[in-house]
Amino acid sequence: MTAGGAILQVRGLRKNFPVDGGRHLVAVDGVSLDVAAGETLALVGESGSGKSTVARCIVRLIEPSGGDVVIDGRSILPLQSRLLAGVYRRIQMVFQDPNASLNPRMNVRQVLDEPLRLHLDLPRAARTARVRELVEMVGLGAVHLERYPHELSGGQRQRVGIARAVAVSPDIVILDEPTSSLDVSVRGQILDLLLDLQRRLNLAYLFISHDLQVVQHVADRVAVMYLGGIVEIGPTQGIFGDPRHPYTRALLSAAPVAQWGVERKRLRLKGEISSPIDPPDACRLVGRCPLAQPACAAAKPALIDIGHDHAVACPVVVDGAAPFPSGDLQPRLAAAATRGL
Amino acid sequence: MSPRDAVGEISPELGAIRQVRRRPKLSWSMRIGGAVLIFYVAVALISLVWTPYDPLTPGIGDGYDAPSAAFLLGTDRLGSDMLSRLMVGARYNLGITLTAVTIALCIGTTIGVIAGYHGGAIDTVVLRAVEIFQAFPGLLFAMLVVQAVGPGIVMLVVQAVGPGIVNVILVLSFVGIPDYLRLARGEIHSRRSWQYAEAARMVGNPPWRVAFRHLLPNSIGPLLAFTSINAAFVALITASLGFLGLGLGPNTPEWGNMIARGQDGVMTGQWWVSFFPGLAILGLTGAFYLLGDAISDLTDPRRRR
Amino acid sequence: MSGELLEIENYSGAFRSPTGELTPVLHEVSYRLKAGALTAVVGETGSGKSLVALSVLGIQPPSFVRSSGRILFRGVDLLGLDEKAMRKIRGAEISMVFQDARAALNPVFTVGRQLADVYQLQHGGGRSAAMKQAIEALRRVSIPEPARRARQYPHEFSGGMAQRAMIAMAALICEPSLLILDEPTTGLDVTIQSDIMELITDLCRVGGLTTCLITHDLGIVAETCDEVVVMNAGRVVETGSAQAIFTQPQDPYTRRLLAASQLVEAAA
Repeated sequence: MTAGGAILQVRGLRKNFPVDGGRHLVAVDGVSLDVAAGETLALVGESGSGKSTVARCIVRLIEPSGGDVVIDGRSILPLQSRLLAGVYRRIQMVFQDPNASLNPRMNVRQVLDEPLRLHLDLPRAARTARVRELVEMVGLGAVHLERYPHELSGGQRQRVGIARAVAVSPDIVILDEPTSSLDVSVRGQILDLLLDLQRRLNLAYLFISHDLQVVQHVADRVAVMYLGGIVEIGPTQGIFGDPRHPYTRALLSAAPVAQWGVERKRLRLKGEISSPIDPPDACRLVGRCPLAQPACAAAKPALIDIGHDHAVACPVVVDGAAPFPSGDLQPRLAAAATRGL
Repeated sequence: MSPRDAVGEISPELGAIRQVRRRPKLSWSMRIGGAVLIFYVAVALISLVWTPYDPLTPGIGDGYDAPSAAFLLGTDRLGSDMLSRLMVGARYNLGITLTAVTIALCIGTTIGVIAGYHGGAIDTVVLRAVEIFQAFPGLLFAMLVVQAVGPGIVMLVVQAVGPGIVNVILVLSFVGIPDYLRLARGEIHSRRSWQYAEAARMVGNPPWRVAFRHLLPNSIGPLLAFTSINAAFVALITASLGFLGLGLGPNTPEWGNMIARGQDGVMTGQWWVSFFPGLAILGLTGAFYLLGDAISDLTDPRRRR
Repeated sequence: MSGELLEIENYSGAFRSPTGELTPVLHEVSYRLKAGALTAVVGETGSGKSLVALSVLGIQPPSFVRSSGRILFRGVDLLGLDEKAMRKIRGAEISMVFQDARAALNPVFTVGRQLADVYQLQHGGGRSAAMKQAIEALRRVSIPEPARRARQYPHEFSGGMAQRAMIAMAALICEPSLLILDEPTTGLDVTIQSDIMELITDLCRVGGLTTCLITHDLGIVAETCDEVVVMNAGRVVETGSAQAIFTQPQDPYTRRLLAASQLVEAAA
């Protein structure tokens, strides 16, 4: 048992990619997070934030450049790769693109049978029973077992991907944008399925998404990432109701809501996202942030705890030194929430 | 967009229900190519148990007999029956081609898959090694390999089929390895970052299984198509080597060799001595090309299977 | 019928397979685009919304066969026009922006050159005048340092910037009366999406450009659009003002779509 009941602990995770000229692209820059048993932590960010890289580094599909990943008390980074299989019995992954995440030449039965065979080493009869159990658990039927991926719809393929991930009864599942490639009408069903499975199997989720609405629907806690670092982390209500970091506010104010008459005031960030190659030791938002102070360019700010389990990596907003430029900014999603969404 | 795609577009659920697993229609290229190839294999097999006459014995006919009831395809200058020689020749040409291609395919693909999946240092080393290898004359390398492998195994094979043939097979297969290697490497390299490759790792497969059991089968299409076309090329080279008299004994009923022996006849009107072996080679090469074409069309990624 | 720039009337069609079988995909699709308004055509994958838009410009897939219907632009049936007449309409009267801007641009020419080429095609004139217009167009879509950007290649543009360049090409260089945008913000980050949508609404309101936005994202529709056409499985299920569709949806499919977009349970 680990301290605090955390299934997954990530400390100071770093990933650099070398680019031409001896420089480095910093994709993940010192990320730390915890996921407790049965809870959902969402990792939110736009393209280039590093959230998918974090996910892959945690399971060592990509080898991290530094930091530590502890799963159920055991540090997994020093393990030799052939011992990783044991780790994958505790932590699994659901991938984004249902078209690309299933082997086109394997039917559903083979896809689900493989983890049972390789991870659990079950005898054939037990595997057959379990495969049947799995397809039903995700809302498919025995009739789907002989089908190949191209004979299934996007939503069905994703269900198979989910079944594959929970086949070995892991403790924590990383979901990398599980609904982003699906149609809107299917999205809700898949999210409900994920929530249902979480309750039944007591799964912890690390839910990666760029879709704030989805995140608000499923997550207990939210971590907002920007250019490789976490800029704000806290409970869902706290992040959506009282966002502090300028980037979080910009992000939330830009998210459209499918409701008529929602008033919106955008917090704009100037210019383009800054380069992740050999970044200076400064806040990554410098140059775009409306609140930038000279101190922001001097050192990269750490996460500062502001109570209620909520932390912000911005000394300027924590100190209250400068108000937001356009007076009172109500983040749009919070406004929608007050209308009874 | 095929109707199947369109139906899938309109409603994914509907598309899934209505998609029947249709057998791909065999195109004419595949039928003709396949039929010819099967015919050749049949002839080669039959020649093991029966030929009209003994193909190696001279003097059965008078020499340069035109095609007739007794000698369906005539006789050559020494009076050996052309039909018998052609049938036995099938064993040589087909056998050498298939053996060389198989060796090149197996070795090249295996190394290519390993290099493609690992990437990085292994990949670079393998690619550079292949480039160096291709700079050497193939025959030289084949000889070096024979020395390295040791005379033991090779001698067994040599005693079975004759030294010349072994050399020919070795040369052809070694020259062919780099192409298979590069093709397999490219296919695996481009697929290894696909999500189902990542998923295969999560499911418990060690890297080598991911490469061979998951990625390679999905690359079968281009590999098969290439193999077929490569076989056509190898068949042609085999015949060319035989024509030049390299590697095989002078009386060997290999088709290229037979064409060479009938050269004089072409000028003086005994056309059948060179014609029929030439036709045989044409047929074999053409069959491989047709098959390769058909396989390539079948596995075109733009056709949703 | 003044006030309606484009009218789709009972448009139906099917896809023809290589063996000749017909699979019907559009059924009596009818809707109108009011002049000067921003109309959204919403639907999920496979609803046929893009297919109709491609038909307007005459660039539908060759395997698509029309069985009935007309597409009236200013009263003229576009489907009856020959290729030469259609070419005069494309760009000059009706223009289209596609989803993946970087893929729609030719990778071997600079962005400025491509805009300038289109300018010369539409308006004639010399190369340097066209290039000036190209740079001006880039500036008007808020691309910073337009002169420098004009000399860059498409792969040097970010997704959002490339989409702005495409909008510049389709709306400013071409000067059409009707602009169709097919999923212009799908795949872009939400902050970039917002910026692009602001650009589009600007062009529509300020420039008086009739705009047709094809999308599956009801969020941006709620924010920006005047009129909405809802499509499902090749049929139009509901049309109306944006306010009406969002506050009082009539059709059960519309209600389900709204509920799914809001991640709440649909009212029975």
